[in-house]
Amino acid sequence: MTEDSADKNLSYEQAREELIDVVRRLEAGGITLEESLALWERGEKLATLCQEWLDGARKKIDAAIQD
Amino acid sequence: MALDTSPESPAPVRQIANAIGGWIDKLGAVWVEGQVAQMSRRPGMQTVFLTLRDSVADISVPVTCTRFLLDSLNPPLVEGASVIIHAKPSYYANRGTLSLQARDIRPVGLGELLARLEQRRQLLAAEGLFAAELKRPLPFLPTTVGLVTAANSAAERDVLENAKRRWPRVRFEVAYAAMQGTRSAADVVEKLQRLDRDPDVDVIVIARGGGSVEDLLPFSDEHLIRAVHAARTPVVSAIGHEPDSPLLDLAADVRASTPTDAAKLVVPDVVEEQRIVATGRDRLRGGIAALIHREQTLLDALRSRPVLADPRSLIDARRDEVTSLRDRARRTVGHALDRAADDIGHHRARARALSPLETLRRGYAVAQDADGHVLTSVTDAAEGATVSIRVADGRLAATITSTEKTEPTKDDADD
Repeated sequence: MTEDSADKNLSYEQAREELIDVVRRLEAGGITLEESLALWERGEKLATLCQEWLDGARKKIDAAIQD
Repeated sequence: MALDTSPESPAPVRQIANAIGGWIDKLGAVWVEGQVAQMSRRPGMQTVFLTLRDSVADISVPVTCTRFLLDSLNPPLVEGASVIIHAKPSYYANRGTLSLQARDIRPVGLGELLARLEQRRQLLAAEGLFAAELKRPLPFLPTTVGLVTAANSAAERDVLENAKRRWPRVRFEVAYAAMQGTRSAADVVEKLQRLDRDPDVDVIVIARGGGSVEDLLPFSDEHLIRAVHAARTPVVSAIGHEPDSPLLDLAADVRASTPTDAAKLVVPDVVEEQRIVATGRDRLRGGIAALIHREQTLLDALRSRPVLADPRSLIDARRDEVTSLRDRARRTVGHALDRAADDIGHHRARARALSPLETLRRGYAVAQDADGHVLTSVTDAAEGATVSIRVADGRLAATITSTEKTEPTKDDADD
């Protein structure tokens, strides 16, 4: 299972918790440059995932409110 | 219990009065039957004074009752009416007078009436006509509400108006019937059965305004009670006011205290229901919107953190670190080189000072044999030997053609 599909079935809360952890570790520092870059990329992906969740939810609600 | 008094120790009046009061109280509340001989109602007085005469013997007793009680009697009390009174005897010590304080006054004749009703109730109850398990629930939203009542009576208006206010689209099937007099029971039964046969009618209300026990007698009629018991459609009894309770109340599936109450029981307050649904929906939307807003705010906060928003900050930190390290390195190296340079310069100077180069520059030369040994005496080299002569700017190759010894000067001798 590639990393992408694993992300797909991440729940919103899991993605959010991991994102918070990534930010915390990046801010703590004391890690190699390579790790920092990897962490940063992971953070970006998680943030996008969370945003997709929220946008999806909002779309569902707007649709529900329409009809 | 007699009081032991004697001429020597007589009891004071107040003690005697209290004793009498005590004994009289012992009688407690009683139902008294008699005829109203006199009724005196003084203006502004809250209490009305009556005289109740025994129906047979020439004995009477004063009775007091509140103006409110008297006015509430329906039909109103008239002198000469035979009544039964529920009263408690009370003794007014200061004037030494006794009177019965009336709590309830009912016309006579009521007695057997009530007795007969009670007996019928027990009979029908024994037959199980009033059994609780027979009670059917009312439909939440009836298609049509059947109503048996007197034509354009207050009861009819109460039921219709209240029901419409709660659910504007309620449909009624009204069957007018005599709600008073000897024909009433039979008439109500007939209308009840007609509505019962109508498939659209989901509930039937039998409504009538207030009245005396006699007025409401038809609604304890056995024939009507059995008809209600046999009815397929649930029946709501709405007869008279709160205290009135004809047998119909027991036979019906639901007892409403008044016609207005009946309207509330048969028809839901749709307007209220819709309001509740609307509020629920709003709160639902408010709640989910708040949740999303809160999550979005958190996500925005996370995304705006420098480590995510501006990854270059990660790189910059390191670049600065590297730059400062490089500068330090360079500085350190620079210093080392300078020191080394000084060192070299120092050594070179010394070397130069020691080195014969200056001497050679002044015209001297150093001769070395093939092995590089410096020739310091003519004896060091034989004729025909090749020697190398080091001058300031280089070397000369030469062959010894002859040697000549010269006399050493004086100060050379002690080398």
